[in-house]
Amino acid sequence: MAGSSEPQPEALRPAMAAPALLSVLLALLAVAVTILLWRLVQGRRSRRRAVLLLGLCDAGKTLLFARLLTGRYRDTQTSITESSALYRVSKDKSANVTLIDLPGHESLRLHFLERFKAAARAIVFVVDSVAFQREVKDVAEFLYQVLVDGTVLKNAPALLIACNKQDVTMAKSSKLIQQQLEKELNTLRVTRSAAPSSLDGSATGGPAQLGKKGKDFDFSQLPMKVEFVECSARGSKGEDGDADCEALEKWLAKIA
Amino acid sequence: MLDFFTIFSKGGLVLWCFQGVRGPVATAPVNALIRSVLLQERGGNNSFNHEALTLKYKLDNQFELVFVVGFQKILTLTYVDKLIDDVHKEFRDKYRNEFQQKGTLGLLNGTFDFKEDFMRLLRDAEESSKARAPTVMKTFEQSQKSQKTVKCMIETRGEKPKEKVKNKKNKGSKKEGMEAVTAASKASTGDRQPSAAGDREELTKDEILQKNREEFFKRHMKAGEKSRSPKPEAQKEKGKKPRVWDLGNSNAKVLDYSNSATNGSVEACPVEEFDPDLALGGRNREPGRLYDLEYESDEEIEEKVIQNPSKPSAKKGGLGGMFGMLKGLVGSKSLTREDMDPILEKMKDHLIAKNVAAEIAVQLCESVAKKLEGRVMGTFTTVTSTVKQALQEALVQILQPQRRVDVLRDVMDAQRHRRPYVVTFCGVNGVGKSTNLAKISFWLIENGFSVLIAACDTFRAGAVEQLRTHTRRLNALHPPESHGGRTMVQLYEKGYGKDAAGIAMEAISYARNQGFDVVLVDTAGRMQDNAPLMTALAKLIAVNAPDLVLFVGEALVGNEAVDQLVKFNKALADHSMAQTPRLIDGIVLTKFDTIDDKVGAAISMTYITSKPIVFVGTGQTYCDLRSLNAKAVVAALMKA
Repeated sequence: MAGSSEPQPEALRPAMAAPALLSVLLALLAVAVTILLWRLVQGRRSRRRAVLLLGLCDAGKTLLFARLLTGRYRDTQTSITESSALYRVSKDKSANVTLIDLPGHESLRLHFLERFKAAARAIVFVVDSVAFQREVKDVAEFLYQVLVDGTVLKNAPALLIACNKQDVTMAKSSKLIQQQLEKELNTLRVTRSAAPSSLDGSATGGPAQLGKKGKDFDFSQLPMKVEFVECSARGSKGEDGDADCEALEKWLAKIA
Repeated sequence: MLDFFTIFSKGGLVLWCFQGVRGPVATAPVNALIRSVLLQERGGNNSFNHEALTLKYKLDNQFELVFVVGFQKILTLTYVDKLIDDVHKEFRDKYRNEFQQKGTLGLLNGTFDFKEDFMRLLRDAEESSKARAPTVMKTFEQSQKSQKTVKCMIETRGEKPKEKVKNKKNKGSKKEGMEAVTAASKASTGDRQPSAAGDREELTKDEILQKNREEFFKRHMKAGEKSRSPKPEAQKEKGKKPRVWDLGNSNAKVLDYSNSATNGSVEACPVEEFDPDLALGGRNREPGRLYDLEYESDEEIEEKVIQNPSKPSAKKGGLGGMFGMLKGLVGSKSLTREDMDPILEKMKDHLIAKNVAAEIAVQLCESVAKKLEGRVMGTFTTVTSTVKQALQEALVQILQPQRRVDVLRDVMDAQRHRRPYVVTFCGVNGVGKSTNLAKISFWLIENGFSVLIAACDTFRAGAVEQLRTHTRRLNALHPPESHGGRTMVQLYEKGYGKDAAGIAMEAISYARNQGFDVVLVDTAGRMQDNAPLMTALAKLIAVNAPDLVLFVGEALVGNEAVDQLVKFNKALADHSMAQTPRLIDGIVLTKFDTIDDKVGAAISMTYITSKPIVFVGTGQTYCDLRSLNAKAVVAALMKA
């Protein structure tokens, strides 16, 4: 009896060892797959939920930021750091994006762009329509730097060019701004790629070529969707009234 | 008395504003403050002058707020510093919850009703400054003089000849103070001299002199000095004696040293071995011909890899055993001045070792300290890493150009308006103006623009010939046939000794007539202290109104960079008649290949002028022209 029970466990042991090992392996595999799936889902969900507000100094980015979030008018000064807040796109949808208002000053703008470009789902480039004629070269240069950036080209976030300060009578229309920007970017393509190469060997303009070679530059040649809207952060009724930025809000609702 | 008081977040939202009576709108001066002080890392001292206003500010780095007060420059208000500190504390305590919990939305939505508190603090501050009553003068009874008796103030002559006390009674009351002092000292020292001496009423002048002299000599003997035999006074009275020099008695022979050396005597010189071939070079040469340098063709562009840009230091800090360090690691510790000071000292020395000018390193570290004071550190960051990170950001910020740097675009603009684009090069002697001018003209020709070189260096021997050689070479590289028959480079010169400003003006009008795209004006090198030359340069620039004024500076310069740039700018500003004088628009940094990673000169120059570095020269061939890469330079600077 004892002898018969003895060989049993012995026979059972190798038989049991195989399934035990198998189950251990299966368990490990399940854990690994779960982790992978979780990381994928996490990454896809949290990556690129930000809408960046870019533009030159005094374009009206911070006021636009305040208007979109609260609807009220606020006094503003030159921004030194970024401000970010969660923006609920519309009342019924649960979608929300993070609005990030970046400083426009020359010494800071590229640094903050570096920090936040990877998280950008969409970019709102705010242009001062009143001072545009004077500043067209600076606007175009900043826009060019944003467009040839490697990360931006890879992710191709939706681009909206918001022509701000439309409440002033001298403001240029968005059509005119689009034409002028296209002309200027056409020239910039040539001059920036011909600039002396940088100290550590990389070219300043970036290896990317904007648009198609040989043809004049057009915003439709870019890999991302580009739209132009007119808006006014101050609003036509002054500080007490509402801002005139429905087009902007509609666009934000679309891309959210 | 204040014009305004503003509190705003670093993100740009104004939280609360107080507008004093008859004060203008506050935004413009505050914007000027932000752009010139905070963003250019000049935050060392906390006051700033803008037109008629003085602005004082304070940063709160924990909640990212800025407090600014503005008042008229002519008023000197003493309570302003204290007021800002008080307001800062009060505001922060009152609204601490909103900042900590609600973040940006809290700032946007919150109403900051601070007016009553502010008026109260202002009243307190004003009263405290008036509180000190004017000091009341002491009455006679309280003074020291009334305590003395009359006797001790009477002077007797000859008591202590060392103290040559003048005849006081005749002098005015002015000397009374002095007398009181001497009287007191006399009274205190008491009877050093026997009072018997005081009995003697009169001593003759001579005897007084004699006594003085004896004591003087005694003192000298004691000190061990060799004392000259004192001429007895009696002789002095006899009349003047001729002076006797020590060596006067020796004759000329002793003074003649000419035999021991060959100075001045031609025959005695040892004959040097002079080998003419060695001096002139061994090859066959046509006498008088200027040979070309051998150089490689322009297709091989030598890429200089200065530095691999290193990533900024990782945020992981070392784990310490002590509780304080753990607390710091967990992330609730706020930075204080004492924590940062030793690290900032080290960073300052490091920057100075990397050839940043000393005063600029000091100002930079001050500014970084101001920016970091009170900030709460994140998790797993040490003080060192935070400070290094902040300093790195500040340096990159300084090197970013404040205006557009695109020469080709501006040349195209000028081309469209059918006028030449004029660039002037100025700098001290020997920095490489002519060499870099040639490099830049090569670059412009490569991009299809025709260049006229104006030789306005009419002083240095060979300057015009140097430029002529460059012109010839450039034309050999880009012959007219390959550019549609037009000469790409031409030299405009009028020889030596002429007025540089006149030559420049003629060159510009010649370029306009002939349709040249760019005019490059080469000026003579001059020291910044040389006033007439600086005036001449300022005149050249003011009269010709160039589109771009480039200051050429070498990367080897150290603390001199500050002095050079300040004086050049000052000279240009002083001698210009216009409302907004033309100052230096950009910097060309030359001889960059001679410094390994001691790249501090770039920081010094951009900090002082806040103008961008347009070109970097890295060698002596035509292809050694680069543009500045801020990240690479800062990485080289911060590298240990």
